[in-house]
Amino acid sequence: MAAAAAGGLRRAGWRLWRGCAVVRCQLYPPQRALQASAVLKRVSDEQKEPLASSSQQQFDSHPTDHRPEQEPQGPRPSYTGQGGQESEDYESEEQLQHRILTAALEFVPEHGWTAEAIAEGAKTLGLSAAAAGMFHSDGGELILHFVSQCNTKLTELLEQEQKQVQLGEAEKKSTDQFLRDAVEARLRMLIPYIDKWPQALSILLLPHNIPSSLNLLTSMIDDIWQYAGDQSTDFNWYTRRAVLTGIYNTTELVMMQDSSPDFEETWRFLENRVADAMNMGNAAHQVQSTGEALVQGLMGAAVTIKNLAGLNQRR
Amino acid sequence: MEVAAAAAPAVRCGLRRCRAGLRGRWASPAGGVPLRLCSTRVTLEGINKPVIDRIIRVDHAGEYGANRIYAGQMAVLGRSSVGPVIQQMWNQEKDHLKKFNELMVAYRVRPTVLLPFWNVAGFVLGAGSALLGKKGAMACTVAVEESISDHYNSQIRTLIEEDPEKYKELLQVIKQFRDDEREHHDIGLEYDAEAAPAYSILKTAIQLGCKAAIFLSERI
Repeated sequence: MAAAAAGGLRRAGWRLWRGCAVVRCQLYPPQRALQASAVLKRVSDEQKEPLASSSQQQFDSHPTDHRPEQEPQGPRPSYTGQGGQESEDYESEEQLQHRILTAALEFVPEHGWTAEAIAEGAKTLGLSAAAAGMFHSDGGELILHFVSQCNTKLTELLEQEQKQVQLGEAEKKSTDQFLRDAVEARLRMLIPYIDKWPQALSILLLPHNIPSSLNLLTSMIDDIWQYAGDQSTDFNWYTRRAVLTGIYNTTELVMMQDSSPDFEETWRFLENRVADAMNMGNAAHQVQSTGEALVQGLMGAAVTIKNLAGLNQRR
Repeated sequence: MEVAAAAAPAVRCGLRRCRAGLRGRWASPAGGVPLRLCSTRVTLEGINKPVIDRIIRVDHAGEYGANRIYAGQMAVLGRSSVGPVIQQMWNQEKDHLKKFNELMVAYRVRPTVLLPFWNVAGFVLGAGSALLGKKGAMACTVAVEESISDHYNSQIRTLIEEDPEKYKELLQVIKQFRDDEREHHDIGLEYDAEAAPAYSILKTAIQLGCKAAIFLSERI
């Protein structure tokens, strides 16, 4: 009963939220829709981003639930994020956004995480610089796009490694080595943008970006533990992820201040932190087993005393 | 029986699923950001992840709690005449928990945050009911197992509404566990659960607690 009521409430709230989002999208920047449709007409669809195609697969795998106004029979099912219009020849607005953002990354070292970088990126695709108007002006989407791209790359990397281990081509790494390598590989992806990364971090911490940046961070950490072979199903699940998140974030901060060649100091810092975490785990384990031994000893003593006092007669 | 139950609300379900689908896929995970970010977490294609997450999380918590209840009962009644009966039921619960541990890793579901709390609460409930005597312990078993098997039944209904083919393995596991829990329930009744002091009050209170635990474990 209570569950149903709460579910109903949440659904209602969600609908309200979605309604607001639609209204905002339609009213707030009217030029956005115009630009998008103009841009859409000019773009051919030879290139497809990996991100975009994965979202398409997701769509394909649920052919039964789609919006009524959509026609999945087209040769290349695609949908637009907001308008719900369907066309066979044009790529979706979302795919286009992904392409623009990917192109824009090239200009980040020069322009920072800004609308200018997006505009430059759009120009390389043969689009108008006004395409930058499709995005918020703080560059949050560009950064989030970059982060999610890096996460996907990391997952692919880890998956490859796992396959190699399974095929016997590579030796299985110890957990600390694995974690260190995974975090290092992920942080190395930031090197081309390291000068502008402090700016990105501050934008990611803006209130409206926090849910998505947190989501990306936690899913990345979860992926690393998954490939590290974590099987925990108790509270360790949380402590492990919390510890690794801490290591990742502090190492990231150290990296931004590191001026040593090839960030040697950062990797040394990382190594020490991972070793600390492993020690902490061992220490916790020892405390636990000591505690158990202590309890057993006390129980034994209690039974002995009971026997001595003659209280332990079977009833 | 479940099929019949599933077939009745089929029309309603069609509509609801459509809406659930919309919520699942079109809602951007990012507050006001219109971009959909690629979450690498979705590795298992084509399953309704939020629904499966909930089911596995709450079942894992339930089996964990049940284990702790039996542990509490064994701590008090381990050497009494009902000891072996409780031990036998406990062993089955251990198998169930093991199965859900495996499923949890396979489906990449996070455990509930409340596990440490269920650890203590389960033990206290088990030991407390056992302190009321053998009948009290059995009354506790009856109340808990009844809630759990009812809950399994509603999950079976949900999964059949979703897609019985896709979730075949999970359905089989849950059905078998439901039968086991039913059996425990009947064993409890056999051992005079209903003769326990204040049986109806005890049962209602425990079942309310179970419902609250299920509600919380599904969500956090």
